Amino acid sequence: MTINSINDWFIQTFGAITVEQVKGWFIYNPKEPLLFNTGLFLGMFLIFYLVYAFLRKTFYLRLVYVILFSLFFYYKSSGIYFLLLILSSVVDYNLSGVIYRENREGWRKFYIWLSVFLNLGLLGYFKYTNFLIGTYNDMFSGHLAFHDILLPVGISFYTFQSISYIIEIYRKEIVPTNNYVEYLFFVSFFPQLVAGPIVRAKDFLPQIYQKLNLTKEDVNAALFLLIGGLIKKTVISDYISINFVDRVFDAPTSYTAFENLMASYGYAIQIYCDFSGYSDMAIGVALLLGFKLPTNFRTPYKSASITEFWRRWHISLSTWLKDFLYISIGGNRNGSFAGFLFPALFFFGLIVWGISYSTVSHIPLIIAVSSLVLFSLTFILSKDRERTMFTNVNLLTTMLLGGLWHGASLRFIIWGALHGVALAVHKIFLEFFPSKKDKKKNAFDYIWRFFSILLTFHFVVFCWLFFRAKDFDTALQIVNNIGQLTFDPKQWQIIIQGYKNVFLLMLVGYIWHFLPEGITKNMKLAFDKTPLIGKAIILGFVYWIVYATATAGPQPFIYFQF
Amino acid sequence: MKTNSYFFQSFAIVLLAAVAFIGFKQFLPKKIFSESAPNSKNVLIDSMLLDAVAKDVKSTTKDTLVNAKIVFDPTLGITFPSEKFEDYKGYQYLISFYEKLYQLEKNPESENVRIAYFGDSMTDGDMIVQDLRADYQAKFGGQGVGFVSITSESAASRGSITHQYSGNWKTQSYLNVKKPRSPFGVNGHVFFANDTAHVEWVRFKANTARFATMLDNPTLFYGRSSNLQGKVDVIIGKDTIVKSLTPNSLVNTLKVSSNSIKGFKADFIKADSIPIFGFNFDDGKGVHVDNFSQRGNSGLPISTFNPAVMQAFNNKLGYDLIVLHYGTNVLNYGTKDYTWYDRSMTKTVNHLKECFPGVAILIVSTADKGTKYDLEMKTDSAVVPLTVAQKRYALKTQSGFVNLYTLMGGDGSMVKWVEEEPAKANKDYTHFNHRGAKKIAGLLYEQLNQGYEKYKTLRQKRKPAEKKAPDSTVIKKDSVDA
Repeated sequence: MTINSINDWFIQTFGAITVEQVKGWFIYNPKEPLLFNTGLFLGMFLIFYLVYAFLRKTFYLRLVYVILFSLFFYYKSSGIYFLLLILSSVVDYNLSGVIYRENREGWRKFYIWLSVFLNLGLLGYFKYTNFLIGTYNDMFSGHLAFHDILLPVGISFYTFQSISYIIEIYRKEIVPTNNYVEYLFFVSFFPQLVAGPIVRAKDFLPQIYQKLNLTKEDVNAALFLLIGGLIKKTVISDYISINFVDRVFDAPTSYTAFENLMASYGYAIQIYCDFSGYSDMAIGVALLLGFKLPTNFRTPYKSASITEFWRRWHISLSTWLKDFLYISIGGNRNGSFAGFLFPALFFFGLIVWGISYSTVSHIPLIIAVSSLVLFSLTFILSKDRERTMFTNVNLLTTMLLGGLWHGASLRFIIWGALHGVALAVHKIFLEFFPSKKDKKKNAFDYIWRFFSILLTFHFVVFCWLFFRAKDFDTALQIVNNIGQLTFDPKQWQIIIQGYKNVFLLMLVGYIWHFLPEGITKNMKLAFDKTPLIGKAIILGFVYWIVYATATAGPQPFIYFQF
Repeated sequence: MKTNSYFFQSFAIVLLAAVAFIGFKQFLPKKIFSESAPNSKNVLIDSMLLDAVAKDVKSTTKDTLVNAKIVFDPTLGITFPSEKFEDYKGYQYLISFYEKLYQLEKNPESENVRIAYFGDSMTDGDMIVQDLRADYQAKFGGQGVGFVSITSESAASRGSITHQYSGNWKTQSYLNVKKPRSPFGVNGHVFFANDTAHVEWVRFKANTARFATMLDNPTLFYGRSSNLQGKVDVIIGKDTIVKSLTPNSLVNTLKVSSNSIKGFKADFIKADSIPIFGFNFDDGKGVHVDNFSQRGNSGLPISTFNPAVMQAFNNKLGYDLIVLHYGTNVLNYGTKDYTWYDRSMTKTVNHLKECFPGVAILIVSTADKGTKYDLEMKTDSAVVPLTVAQKRYALKTQSGFVNLYTLMGGDGSMVKWVEEEPAKANKDYTHFNHRGAKKIAGLLYEQLNQGYEKYKTLRQKRKPAEKKAPDSTVIKKDSVDA
């Protein structure tokens, strides 16, 4: 669903309003969650926001008011599961209190394990039960029936937020909230509730207690984020996915090599615009309420290495994983059972897969063994072998589980593994060729950086193929198809003309992404100087762009012959 | 507001923006991106379809078919119950096919049944057809994927057989060539190995698909030519066998191997100007289904078939049923009056009956297709009028009919198939994925089989005196002018 309701909302507001329609606004509909880019959200937010502005000087009244709206927001997308949110927050709040008051180290450990276990158990049940059943059935030819489980929206995000709160209390980085209401406000805060960014307790809780204030600069920043987010999510991402990328990924062999290649680039910009666009809107909405959420994406495809990429891509997730998973299993100092378990399982599975295919082809086994050798070399070649081994093994665990967090499927694990191994390879590369920081940059450095960005970008695009393709075979088909690409500008030109809207939007997306920061800053400055009414008109115009894009039906399919 | 806080200004901006949006909506166009298809000579379009649309004359005659009761005259002494236009299936006109199936069921060793399945991009890569074939072969026996053209745009996506070919084949397709250098084969294509500098080749390999794990009796089909020098080097494993082409008749065959083999490559030597059609793979038993898919096809190009050549094909392959599955490419023309299509297809089907005398014909309607109306994906408003037109020419040409649109769930079903988990159709809201294609084949088989079961019951009740030679391929059709 896109902005279905922007249109509906206005027709209903200025036309006849039936009881049924009004009911529809308030009743759970799994097909129409209350996304920020919907008209219904705009309408509700306007009313909510007016009252909020009047309540700005109160404290508990305001918190309760926002909590109620947040719970309603969650109910609209997940139905009865808003009770699950309340239930898990009650448990977490009480457990964190127990941990805070407990002084005996053994008991503290027990309670922290208990609460992490409960949270991950909940997430695991809803997200991974069927994946585990499927894997079991495949491996042991079992016939266990799948469970009929509906994944509550945003559970991956708010579970991680709760865990951060409890672990930070355990690590004595924060003190618990004064009462349950304040805690529930933190967990249920609707801007980041369903799709992040994952807000850390120590960043967010202090803001609750500050006097609520909203400056002109905040509003400017918020509107700028909202405008950018709306265009990225609803114009660029949604349009290119439905009209091009999805089709090629559905049946890659029906398309030419060039279309396969373009779909790969298309998906890279699509997922960035989708994810970062929605994050930007969440940060913007929170900012309008006077809360500052951390930046989640910093033009990640500008990265010159895979390590840098992970400092710029989905930052709230990668820092969460670093602080709570990577550090917990030993970080760059120690090895742990958990740290070794997952990479061992992964490589074991990979080699079993290679052996099972060896009657058909030796390539899978070669891939399996060489990836294990490559990964081992990343620490065997190192000067500080043991420590590098711990680091790399823990890194790989983090990326494997981080991959799995994105969804219950083998393809996310493969995606995570590719990134994990690449991070380790980059580390050993840096050890042999350390980057000189304080040296003055010459032309060679710029060329070097250019090719590093190009290489990093293409590696990331390659990994996205496994992330997006519905199965391993489809991903390999695409790789195979792209391998057959020949230099044929005439053919390319015809294809580009055939999909001119799609390619135009992709181009806009990439130019926007690679725009030097100075230009973005100037655009922001110009926007800041625009009078209030001008900003409103710009925002209104963006709403129209969103609407007029969403009304476009899917383009008819095109078959080229060459 | 005399506070340092900016809340009310912030609220005002959002409110004014909403108002501005309503204003823009009134004055600015409704869509930024149009849905028009590009115009380029490289986009595959059916040229006969374009001609037929251009010649479109609006119908003025009154519709008499819709309300009439459809009553059948007996065929082989059997009469199916009368039908209403509303849910017309026309099993009566499939009797010759059903009788052949029945004979096959009785004598699995001596009989065989062959189906030609003509389609558009819906059946590309052997989608739908491979599943229908497997359904029939599971019940009635038979191995092999049937007839495969020399080249195909969808060869890469075909799983039922691995099919590769050199890029230098000269291809003529009924889709955009009206007067081929030499008549089209039953696959609607003709290929020439005219590049004398490089060898044209084609390679086939059996995969693990059910009932197609080997290539059974691979046989080349080619046409008439004055070039008597042509040779084919057949490479099976490490052996090369040289075979001469003798292009004397309208349709000639050359057996590559009498055994079942895993794969082979065929190099065409000095074969220029000899019309080459394709290879057939079947074990001579059970049911065989040939997939003649062509992207962009409306069905109308079938009217370019040469009757003499088709009869020659039919003598070699022996068809019992021809399926015509079209419509997808006719949906995009902004019209809801399909009289022109009805008229042209009636002519086309009648022409096909001349080419394949006595062979039963089954019309499969367009499937559901989704289009965006305002902000919602719905069934395209052209789908229902098109299925009605298709039913009309099915009835007029005495063909069986399958309404794929209602079979898959009717109104809004494509949207459902695309959006449900796991999805059964692609995001273009037109084409099925493998899961959906399998389901469609199952639905098709089910309807055909219902007719077959009814036929068997009716056959048992038949008076013994009317028993005729069951195996005759030419069966007089009784008219049904309603």
